[in-house]
Amino acid sequence: MNRTLRLLLLIVVAVVQLAVAGDAIVRYELTLRYGESLRFRVQPIDPVDSFRGRYVALTFEANRAEIPEGLEIPNRGWIFVPVVVGEDGFARLGAVSLSRPSSGPYLRLRSGVEGQDEEGRRVAWVNLPFRRLYMKEELAAETERAMWRRGRRQASVLVYVRDGVGVAKDLLIEGTPVREWIANGGAEQPPAQQ
Amino acid sequence: MGRLAARRLLSELPRLEAVGVIDATTAERIREHYASHPAFSSRRLAMAISAVLGTLLIGAGVILLLAHNWEHLGRGLRAAVSLAPLVVSQALVGWVVVRRFESIAWREGCATLLALTVAAALALVDQTYNMGGDLESFLWRWSLLLAPLPWLLNSTAVATIFLAALTWWAGAAKVDGHEVLWLWPLAAAVVPHAFQVLSSDRRGLRAANLGWACAVFLSVAAGLGLEYRVPGLWIVVYCGLFALMIAVGVAVRGDEDGMWRRPFEAVGVAGSFVLWLILSFVHPWKHIGWDHIRTTERFHAVASWLDVALAACLPLAAIVAMAVLLDRRRHKLAMLWGLSVPLVAVVWPIVAASGAEWLGVFAFNLLVFAVGIATIAEGLKGESLARVNLGMVLVAALVIVRFFDSELGFVVKGLAFIAVGIGFLAANLVLSRRLRRDAGATS
Repeated sequence: MNRTLRLLLLIVVAVVQLAVAGDAIVRYELTLRYGESLRFRVQPIDPVDSFRGRYVALTFEANRAEIPEGLEIPNRGWIFVPVVVGEDGFARLGAVSLSRPSSGPYLRLRSGVEGQDEEGRRVAWVNLPFRRLYMKEELAAETERAMWRRGRRQASVLVYVRDGVGVAKDLLIEGTPVREWIANGGAEQPPAQQ
Repeated sequence: MGRLAARRLLSELPRLEAVGVIDATTAERIREHYASHPAFSSRRLAMAISAVLGTLLIGAGVILLLAHNWEHLGRGLRAAVSLAPLVVSQALVGWVVVRRFESIAWREGCATLLALTVAAALALVDQTYNMGGDLESFLWRWSLLLAPLPWLLNSTAVATIFLAALTWWAGAAKVDGHEVLWLWPLAAAVVPHAFQVLSSDRRGLRAANLGWACAVFLSVAAGLGLEYRVPGLWIVVYCGLFALMIAVGVAVRGDEDGMWRRPFEAVGVAGSFVLWLILSFVHPWKHIGWDHIRTTERFHAVASWLDVALAACLPLAAIVAMAVLLDRRRHKLAMLWGLSVPLVAVVWPIVAASGAEWLGVFAFNLLVFAVGIATIAEGLKGESLARVNLGMVLVAALVIVRFFDSELGFVVKGLAFIAVGIGFLAANLVLSRRLRRDAGATS
């Protein structure tokens, strides 16, 4: 292979590498700027990733979506799930569809295992893509410790949703951003009524 | 001739010259010939190794620095920081392609830096936007972006990093219960680079290094790539794989000096050693075969059939390779190590059909013992201390695992240990005496 061809191919590979990283930046930045903000109830724990640092892993209460009568969903295929806000102000997942909803916020997700809920309805278990919140090493560990000090706290995550993409922005403990809550000594106060 | 053999020959020259076997002119001509031998260009190799190690450390340092999470920098700046090292390393690699492509040190060093900055860029974007899913998803994207680099930059270091990332991805995906069918097509991205290396310097150290990366990858990936729908099929797959590695390794690089230059043979022998010992226990033989096919979990149909195809093709390929590539007289020991293939072809179906687990256990205990003794005998015959010790280690390992496993009394176990220990010492004593006597006779 001559030098020019090798250089051209390298440029193509370099553009693809930059495009993969750049496309993610543009998509998530647009979602954070123009997306709809929603709050999901979560339970945070603190593990570590060898490449991306320390994070708070989020376990969502909204982890399954109802499958309407007669709808067959593809195994690990793409599905669309509307996000609705309940009376308590927290987000819940609506019924699965195979096409984009015409209105309201929705998420584009991979379908998980199909099963039944407590009332015998067909549901699809889903993994929400924003299940990690990366933080400074000390803050991630402190968050998990503070969450359980003097009893369990109510935790939620602030998510921006736009065109099927969801981006997590902050962890809220008892309604306050986690950094602010720890800085103001929130962990030393007794848990708020849930 | 390999580097070590050439060195040995050069060290022998003064003695050969002194006893009149060769004259001074011939000795000088031999010295000149091996002084210009490419195997002696160790400076270039050292430079390449230090370039790769240096960039590996710098790249790993960059990843660790970014992993700290500099959240006070703000999203915009962090996005720019995540792309900057990637752009710089891409530009550097572009310069190397234009100006320094013939230098292995520049090529390997800059390609390694690019591979690591791709990881750093993906990691920092994921971190900034709290995205990217699990480690598995990160490793998959990284592997995909690395795939063309080994061939494009003719870089063995990147090929090794790529195979490691791909193996790590397959492991993480398996833990999460996902199938890893794309493992094999993506791993094939290394094949064009293997041709590059083999065509430029088949006997060189780069070919050996790539051989190690491929051999270790194949050994681990074979296990990760299986769907395990038919219990026990892995036994057939691994027996075939290791026998094939030994046959191909011995045929292609069997005359090379030192174990590092014979990667497939070394991994095949080490893998067979561990596999056979595992198969000398009863557990792997329990509930194997079609009668115990798993139906309760979800399995990928194509991946399940791939298991069957591998179980049929690998042992067959091993037998064909032994018949076609190996010389029955010269490669007797390698063929002996391939005995597990016909053995498993007979024993596996019988155990699967009848549930006679004892047959598998008996067969592999016998195999370990017989091959161990035969290796010792071959070593004594060929006066190779390494072979004698390999055979001894095989027999000793069998005795040790049975020590913990069997219901034999302490006295019997103790006597068996003493007997094997005496055997070790006696064989080494006999062989070293013989070697000393031969050395004395030639001087």
